[in-house]
Amino acid sequence: MEKSAGPRRITIDPITRLEGEAKIDIFLNEEGDVDNAYFQVVELRGFEKFCQGRPVEEMPRIVPRICGV
Amino acid sequence: MEGKKIKLAVGIGSTCEGCSVAILDLHEKILDLVRLADIVYWVLAMDFKLHDLEKFQEKEIDVSLHHGTIRTSEHEHIAHLLREKSKALIAFGSCSCFGGIPGLCNVTNREEIFKVVYQETASTVNPDFITPQIKLSDNGHNLTLPELRDEGKALHQVVDVDYYLPGCPPAVELIEKLIPIIQNFLKTGNLPPKGTVIASEKTLCDECPLERQNKMIDKIVRPHKIIPDPKRCLLEQGILCLGPATRGGCGTKCINVLMPCRGCMGPTAEISDQGAKMIGAIASILGVEKEKDLSEAEVEKIIDQIKDPLGTFYRFTLPVASINRNFQEKGVK
Repeated sequence: MEKSAGPRRITIDPITRLEGEAKIDIFLNEEGDVDNAYFQVVELRGFEKFCQGRPVEEMPRIVPRICGV
Repeated sequence: MEGKKIKLAVGIGSTCEGCSVAILDLHEKILDLVRLADIVYWVLAMDFKLHDLEKFQEKEIDVSLHHGTIRTSEHEHIAHLLREKSKALIAFGSCSCFGGIPGLCNVTNREEIFKVVYQETASTVNPDFITPQIKLSDNGHNLTLPELRDEGKALHQVVDVDYYLPGCPPAVELIEKLIPIIQNFLKTGNLPPKGTVIASEKTLCDECPLERQNKMIDKIVRPHKIIPDPKRCLLEQGILCLGPATRGGCGTKCINVLMPCRGCMGPTAEISDQGAKMIGAIASILGVEKEKDLSEAEVEKIIDQIKDPLGTFYRFTLPVASINRNFQEKGVK
């Protein structure tokens, strides 16, 4: 099998067709094999924090906006 | 102009993607849309990458829809790209128009959110309190993350916006209105006046099918505590409903299933602050204005019945509300 010419990085940004933004970085070594791959979540909204103290009966109208897909 | 198409992009901030699903909810009418428009960027529905958006020339895209709150450095980058590359930029959905539910983050800050999310929640095991880093080097591999901002913003607080299409998510009957707008643009090159809100100019109450009897109320009831009369105004039954302070055009979907309005369409053009307008409306229906004998303590007692006024009156509009400045000045930075 043909070997890759040196280390390489493959970035997939963003990952598509999902809710919740993410990207993937894949690092290839000299031989063209995967040295390491990183799945990264690129955002955070903080529902866990800003829902605190709000009436429980309102939660079914707030938390559906975590994911609308 | 037969066969000529516009270039249409859909870009995002911090979003649940319900706005993208709402576009897909056009169902067969989406065929009318794609007859008029080439989709040149839409991450949820098709396989585009950020560099695809970056490579467009200035104003090469005709119409861009943006949904989601501006929450990170990357969201700012996407917003600026959409503005630069598009002839018309539409804030699509409540997050983009007003900050939306993710904009409730403005009651707190990044540090507090990290503490709760990565340390305090019951399901979290994180003894070293590891939190997202904008730069990280791991085994010689350099990684970067966008920076989470302290504050959530509406699109127009970051870039110039041409049109607004509110709703959480926008009603399909409002999204359909984009089709004749695009048709007219292809035919004449004209777009609606800048600042147009693609929705009703009236309040939700003007469209509401429930009957108002102009009755005063003496208490506020939490919605799960009563079974409302299905024919009568919810507010007049003591249930907080944001109809008087909210723009119509949504098709009264929540009201139709006897759920009180929570204001996702934002205020009408005449209302500068949705929450302030709503507090005024409640004061009048509670008789606070007319009852001269009501002591301050009694007024306070009535107002105390409102659980979570901020999260109720500014559910979708906190980042654009005047009260937002108080939070920012109090040092959530």
